[in-house]
Amino acid sequence: MLIVKDLYAGYGLSEVLEGASLTVKTGTVVALIGANGAGKTTTMRAISGLITPTRGEVLLDGKAVQGLGAAQVARLGLAHSPEGRKVFAPLSAEDNLLLGAFPWLPRFFGFRKKAAPDLERVYDLFPRLAERRLQLAGTLSGGEQQMLAIGRALMARPKVMLLDEPSMGLAPVIVQEVFRTIKRLKAEGMTMLLVEQFARAALDVADHAYVMERGRIAVEGTPAELSRDERVLAAYLG
Amino acid sequence: MLKRLLLVRGTEILLFALLAAIPLAVQSPYALGLLTLLAIYGILLIGLDVTVGYLGQVNLAQAAFLGIGAYTAGILTTRYGTGIPMAVLAAGMVCTVIGALLALPSLRLEGPQFALATLSFLALTTTVLTEVEWLTAGSQGLSVDRPPLFGLALTPRLFFWLCLLVLAVVWMAMRNLLSGQWGRAFEALRDSPIATDAMGVGTYRHKVAAFAFGSGLGGVAGALYAYNFQYLQPQSYVYELTVVLLLGVVLGGRKSLWGAFVGATLVALLPNLLSNPLLFRSFAAVGFVMALLAGVRGLLRHTTRPFQALAPVVATGVLVLGSFLEKNTEDWRKAIFALMLFSVVVGLPEGLMGFAAGALAKLFRVAPPPLPPAAALDEVLPATVTGGEPLLEVRALHRHFGGVRAVDGVDLTVRAGTIHGLIGPNGSGKSTLVNVVSGLYTPTSGELMLHGAPLPRGSLFKAARAGVARTFQNLQLFTGMTTLENVMVALRGAYHLPLPLVLAGFGRPEERRAQAEALALLELVGLGGEARTPVKDLTYGAQRFLEMARAAARKPALLILDEPAAGLAHPDVVRQVEVIRRIHARGVTIVLIEHHMDVVTSLCDVVTVLDGGRVIAEGPPDQVKRDPRVIAAYLGAADPAPGGTGPAEGAPAAG
Repeated sequence: MLIVKDLYAGYGLSEVLEGASLTVKTGTVVALIGANGAGKTTTMRAISGLITPTRGEVLLDGKAVQGLGAAQVARLGLAHSPEGRKVFAPLSAEDNLLLGAFPWLPRFFGFRKKAAPDLERVYDLFPRLAERRLQLAGTLSGGEQQMLAIGRALMARPKVMLLDEPSMGLAPVIVQEVFRTIKRLKAEGMTMLLVEQFARAALDVADHAYVMERGRIAVEGTPAELSRDERVLAAYLG
Repeated sequence: MLKRLLLVRGTEILLFALLAAIPLAVQSPYALGLLTLLAIYGILLIGLDVTVGYLGQVNLAQAAFLGIGAYTAGILTTRYGTGIPMAVLAAGMVCTVIGALLALPSLRLEGPQFALATLSFLALTTTVLTEVEWLTAGSQGLSVDRPPLFGLALTPRLFFWLCLLVLAVVWMAMRNLLSGQWGRAFEALRDSPIATDAMGVGTYRHKVAAFAFGSGLGGVAGALYAYNFQYLQPQSYVYELTVVLLLGVVLGGRKSLWGAFVGATLVALLPNLLSNPLLFRSFAAVGFVMALLAGVRGLLRHTTRPFQALAPVVATGVLVLGSFLEKNTEDWRKAIFALMLFSVVVGLPEGLMGFAAGALAKLFRVAPPPLPPAAALDEVLPATVTGGEPLLEVRALHRHFGGVRAVDGVDLTVRAGTIHGLIGPNGSGKSTLVNVVSGLYTPTSGELMLHGAPLPRGSLFKAARAGVARTFQNLQLFTGMTTLENVMVALRGAYHLPLPLVLAGFGRPEERRAQAEALALLELVGLGGEARTPVKDLTYGAQRFLEMARAAARKPALLILDEPAAGLAHPDVVRQVEVIRRIHARGVTIVLIEHHMDVVTSLCDVVTVLDGGRVIAEGPPDQVKRDPRVIAAYLGAADPAPGGTGPAEGAPAAG
């Protein structure tokens, strides 16, 4: 579904990615782990078109999408739930969700009706969002904002979802809920690429995992293989 | 060392020597007039650069201060026969005071609102200068004779040298000011006003002081302007000059003395440029070629977007075309200035000097002067013995946002020498509580005591001065600076020298001392080798450690850490715990908000659990972790599924 080949990208003159390659098969969850500054978030940003890679290819469903820009990539079916959540703070939770569905909703009339089944699905997944649907996103707690960011990505009816650090700064009880949701989405057949600091939890939901070091993939394998790898064990699983 | 001195200072000395020598060779009054104007505009633009460059605010009032300074000197001389030195000083002082008065209200505003406030001041000034005829002679104009200086009649040549001397003094004073704590404070408050206040530096007072200082320089320039033209009219200081001055600063390059000088050259030459078609055509052509080259270079290197590359080419192209089609360029000058300003803002946002500085830095690699050896940690952060007496006392604290009771009656005592954990679900009021304690928010009601004395409320700056330091959940570093400079900004008690002595260049020993102290703190958090690294090049983990060093530089009684391990990978979490231990070992009392339960368990003496803005449990970590209410609200059931780790091992991920 998503193939990244030999990707180079960075900010200004400093190159962060130096030839990263990875594959996410349809219906699987792939975890991307690694130290701070290894290039995990940059990989996500380069895939979703928020930055333009200097070299390399990103294939979404067989179509090359690198350099198309984030808006176009989103229309082609890739949803990105960014690090730090980035909800639209001055809008209500529901408006945030509706914006997630922007690519396929009618612009002026009848969009609420058309979006209703999708909203229903998100509220079913996160009952707390239903309670807060009219509250401004900026006033939601960190955990609710994270749910909103995931929900917003789901509203796009994506073929692939990128989840960047969904557990960052969240209370343990909320982290558990987020991971339960990821498992449920996986069971429903969603294809996901997951960047996560809590490597153990990420490996637990993943079908396949990549370890990133200094802008490249250093190790890859199934979670079971990585959990046996001495080096990975020492450096990332603690 | 010698090479550095030669390159950095040498070029400046060379510039001034060259300028001073020109009148010996060139006698034409026209050329002398231009040179004098260049020196005067240089002073004016250095002053304007303080607000536009260092504070990052669009200031449209500098032309008004030129006018006020000119009229102050002119009136003093015509009415009271005041000599040049006194009149120049008086003009500078009057403008400093008026600048401060204007800054007090208007610097509470930001961005476009501030620009509008300065614009209305400019309109007000021209009106007053025109209408108060008994003082200024109104629109008839005021003739000023150039009085002799120390009995010496000032010929155009002597007067130019005088202006150049003033420019040199201003240049040196400015460099001394900017290379020290003031310069860092300016940089810091642009990057993160919140952190600047939290480090006890005082964003607002620095902004007001900077604006007043820049206005004072405008007054000095104005006085010299009066003696140069010897005839003053209120209309001379209006919008057109304002636009040209902004163009000068932006084109020359912000935050640079050389940039101000290059800009001044342009401002002085522009009117003459426009009156000569041939000169204007070649100037426009040079601009066009530069825009083309810069655009192509930027596109090839992927540093500019197509619009950014194309727009200046089009704008300068229109200038070239216009210069051939239209003979009378004088009439078109406002449009021409607008096109130039547009091209520069879009295509060359760092200005000519910013552009050149990059290239020069590659040509001449001047090593920065070596750092002093790190100071002994005992001198920087003396280990204090604390006896467990109450340090921070919070009584019946409320903080409401509209109908939301974020903190709803919290009582909390933090004892000296402890690490006090603060946990709770997201939205339980932890961050709000520490934001109230550190002064970011004003409490709705309740009491805050530090050392038994009331803690200042609702001011980060005052709370910081009282001994509270903090780090931020979402990193608030000064990203435009190096690692070492970040710590130096926050150093408490390192800078005592009064401002005039700093301006005169006596700040050097104090600066070395501060470097040594900051280095010791960087070594404490394991960043000793990264002193010269720009913050934006640090890894995320290193940035978290740097925030710790910067907060420790406040030598605080109470240190608040807001999720210091958030987003850190496992090895960095281990390192961060070690850093917290080291700082705590110096006798610093710590309040720790953290979601990594293993970090909380291993560090904290006491843990307070918040939920819904209230305290639901308090006690030693092990006891709190077994509390059923805490498990229900925060820790969650020990779901054994992921990785098989229970919450006792603390991987907050799904326990």
